[in-house]
Amino acid sequence: MFLVFTACRKEEPEPTPTDPGTPLPESPVVFDIGAVPYPVLSTYNFFDGALADMIPVQGVLPFEPLNPLFTDYAHKKRFVWMPVGAKAQYAGDGNPLDFDDGSVLIKNFYYEHVMPADEQRIIETRLLFRRNGQWEFADYVWNADQTEATLDMNGATIPIDWVDDNNVLRHAEYRIPTESECFTCHKNYDLIVPIGPKPMNLRNSFMFADGPMDQLAKWQAVGYLEANVPPNIVTPVRWDDETQDLQERVRAYVDINCAHCHSEGKHCDYRPIRYAFSETSDPINLGVCVEPTEDLGSLYTYIVTSGNVERSSMHYRMSSDEEQIRMPLLGRSVAHDEAVQLVEDWINSLSPPCN
Amino acid sequence: MKNTGLLSIALLAATIATAQNSCSTAISVGVGSYVVSAVDGPEIPDPICAQNGLGNTSASEWYAFTATGINTITVSTDLPGSQGVDTRINVYSGSCGSLTCVGGDDDSGDGNTSIASWNSVTGVTYLIAFDNRWSSLGFHFSIVGSDPVNALINFTPQTVSVSGSSLAVVDMDGDGLDDLVAVTSTNINIHHQLATGGFSSTNITTTTADHSASWSLAAGDLDDNGFRDLMYGSGSGVTFMIANEDGTIFHEVSPPEYIFTQRTNFIDINNDGILDAFACHDVEPNCYFMNDGNGDLTFIQGGIGDTPDGGNYGSLWVDYDNDGDADCFISKCRGAQQPSGINQLLQNNNGVFTDVAPLVGLADNTQTWSSAWGDFDNDGDMDVLVGASSFQNGGHQLMRNDGFTTFTNVTVGSGYDTFTGVGHEHVTYDFNNDGWLDIMGAGNVIMINNGNMTFTQSPVPAGIGAMGDLNNDGFWDIVNEGTIYMNTGNNNNYLKVRTIGTVSNRDGIGARVEVITAQGNQIRDVRAGEGFRYMSSIGAHFGLGLTDAITEVIVRWPSGIVDHIMTPTINGTLTVVEGAHPVGIDEAEAAELNLFPNPVQDILQVTASTDLSNAIINVLDASGKQVLNATLINGRFDVSKLTSGAYTVTITKDKTIMVRRFTK
Repeated sequence: MFLVFTACRKEEPEPTPTDPGTPLPESPVVFDIGAVPYPVLSTYNFFDGALADMIPVQGVLPFEPLNPLFTDYAHKKRFVWMPVGAKAQYAGDGNPLDFDDGSVLIKNFYYEHVMPADEQRIIETRLLFRRNGQWEFADYVWNADQTEATLDMNGATIPIDWVDDNNVLRHAEYRIPTESECFTCHKNYDLIVPIGPKPMNLRNSFMFADGPMDQLAKWQAVGYLEANVPPNIVTPVRWDDETQDLQERVRAYVDINCAHCHSEGKHCDYRPIRYAFSETSDPINLGVCVEPTEDLGSLYTYIVTSGNVERSSMHYRMSSDEEQIRMPLLGRSVAHDEAVQLVEDWINSLSPPCN
Repeated sequence: MKNTGLLSIALLAATIATAQNSCSTAISVGVGSYVVSAVDGPEIPDPICAQNGLGNTSASEWYAFTATGINTITVSTDLPGSQGVDTRINVYSGSCGSLTCVGGDDDSGDGNTSIASWNSVTGVTYLIAFDNRWSSLGFHFSIVGSDPVNALINFTPQTVSVSGSSLAVVDMDGDGLDDLVAVTSTNINIHHQLATGGFSSTNITTTTADHSASWSLAAGDLDDNGFRDLMYGSGSGVTFMIANEDGTIFHEVSPPEYIFTQRTNFIDINNDGILDAFACHDVEPNCYFMNDGNGDLTFIQGGIGDTPDGGNYGSLWVDYDNDGDADCFISKCRGAQQPSGINQLLQNNNGVFTDVAPLVGLADNTQTWSSAWGDFDNDGDMDVLVGASSFQNGGHQLMRNDGFTTFTNVTVGSGYDTFTGVGHEHVTYDFNNDGWLDIMGAGNVIMINNGNMTFTQSPVPAGIGAMGDLNNDGFWDIVNEGTIYMNTGNNNNYLKVRTIGTVSNRDGIGARVEVITAQGNQIRDVRAGEGFRYMSSIGAHFGLGLTDAITEVIVRWPSGIVDHIMTPTINGTLTVVEGAHPVGIDEAEAAELNLFPNPVQDILQVTASTDLSNAIINVLDASGKQVLNATLINGRFDVSKLTSGAYTVTITKDKTIMVRRFTK
């Protein structure tokens, strides 16, 4: 189902200068590694025209993980930018790419049909940039006029009402993270790491300004990724692809939404579950018939009780809005209804009963 | 003929199935084994005695058992014939329509079978209802009677209608009786305990708290008005709900600072006599709020547990080194084997906190969200059970305080080496009032202290929750949301000590209370905020076993003042007002002690009817800090170096302590 690349990228013709994704030396992005993070977002010159239109300039390449993280139904526009000569390296299908200094990952969080004015509202733009071999955070909070965003690492809780794709009015207490909240999720031992840009999340077609293209191929085409990426990247299914196997969809969902805590070296690796895609072919790592080590009451016999949603702590935590119960711990104030339904269907499909 | 026979059996089965379909038609059963073909009787048991609430319960099967003696009766579906069917049991006394729970269970047996036990009274008929909360399939059950279990610990569930999360059992209105507090972000529901028994429930609407009590709640009197205030700990910060002068209105104070709050406590951090507030931070250094006594709470981050990425889950204030000030133990938890997961013991040296855990053997990386501190061996210092929330880095650790310099790991053979339950909450109280502190943690189990630093698992119907004495019988009760598990008690004696500070904070939080009896001594620290999430009764609660007299109760206040109460009445509450009980001098004699001149310039003269030569003089300023330490010579001491202000002086001669106030 995925494109297989056998040709060496180096042998391909150089992208034409008209390719909007090409990191030409004249990329207008302003990024002085000794001076960042800048006080305001506009200084970087990541976007062309009105800032709020989020139209990338030359060299700012859009991307979208095959399976995205859920953040209170916020829409996201993600971009990557690298300075001249920088190039990411492959580090494993399920590991984030290994980026060079000066690389910037840009993630805009916004809602459409925000009430009462039924308008788009960009809430924040999060940057991860690499300096001296380490990632650093910079979060820009947008003003009410949507003309500028200001560096602010102190966090805030923003009540937001919007009309969703099903024409339902929804409410969330959207959380802009503090720096320490960023780190809680973007962590590998004591280092800051990106989560989304890993090969298994980029081996798919994305609609670029100049047409659809496999994302890894695009990154290579514009010079943002080394050539020797293995041709066969093991990827999950799309979690929301209803034609796929329920358990494979669950594996895809928990990889991007849960594995940044529930993997070795992460914030909550002392719990028994292991949610990285590479580890969930074993249902035990998904918690199937595994007793929870957190005492949530005798209702929850197992993390996943085969065939019994009501006795499964995973379902309880994913459907709860209470912050001491809900999972993921950070990044959501409302339940992801579609994902809860998926987990419900999956648990109901499991047999035999745990014992 | 064969067909007829089958029909007869079928008819009989149908008859039985119908007969047991409701409380009023419960089938009488005795000790023995029985078969239930299906749970299909249309009556919904009320109340539900077992865990896990009403849920999808729509049917039940009823049996009546009349006790022929005083026994422990056990109803169990954990039989091979049940094939692991997910059963649930409710057991009642009383009559249909007005049933009272005496027992109940969900899931204690193998698979999802259930086992419920209770102690019977001769001649009483108990009603047993199996419900279909989980399954309507048939099962087998047995009824067995045994000699009464001398567990000294038993609880009777009692339902209450609460609004919100039942997070606290604490005396909110200063009447000396614990109340039950449930909160939502807009409401405080207080079940005030009545002197005559039972409760009067009030709901106090509040402004919508910026930060709800999702992670923890603490209670304490921040403004010394006699009505306790609340502190809500959420993932984004803390909110204080301050009670007005009669406790009928709560005023919200929500500091803007971000705190990923875990355990919250009230404690007088700088020992100025005014209660401060502390909040564990999950992902940053800990935070606290210094109270100036005028309603201003100053946010401070740093100085009390400064691991950059936090890992702080359970703060507990304890005087581990018996030096009269409260130290702070932080139970820590963190993945990836990071330093933020190593527990800290922050020794208080005049308000400067230094981590001494590495020196005393407590710098352990057990994944813990709370630890239980108490004098488990009654040798006069505080020991600790470091309670595991995960066995990833090792299990529960029972650490014995050996002279403040070393905590010795005595887990092996203690009962905690074989206890497999893990959880967030670990607290210690003397649940059976036998004079030895027990420990409750995960699961429906209380670890009963055997008196020799070993513990025996005792199953109880309640899980951990807020605790206090909700029927004023001297025994610890446990609240699980809408159910109070009333401790049925026993014949052991007890004493509850209620501390009212004058120079120290009004709650007396941080005071050390000592009970001296001919059989031995016990100590408690007065605390606000133990375990992980809940707020349990403030005070010092002592079980006395069969000891029927207390020689002396000593209260050592954070101010340095010491009260001595000789031979207090036991089996009740002793209220101690700071400074009211100087020892060895009767009130008439004390009245004859005078200071002059007052106000004073340089030299204070002391006159008394008793010989005070060479008495020790300790002068405390208005904030409770010691500012002068001297010896009384010729009935005089020099205060010329003190600045103008109000002072308290304690005059100690042999074992006699007298407290007076003067102004300069």
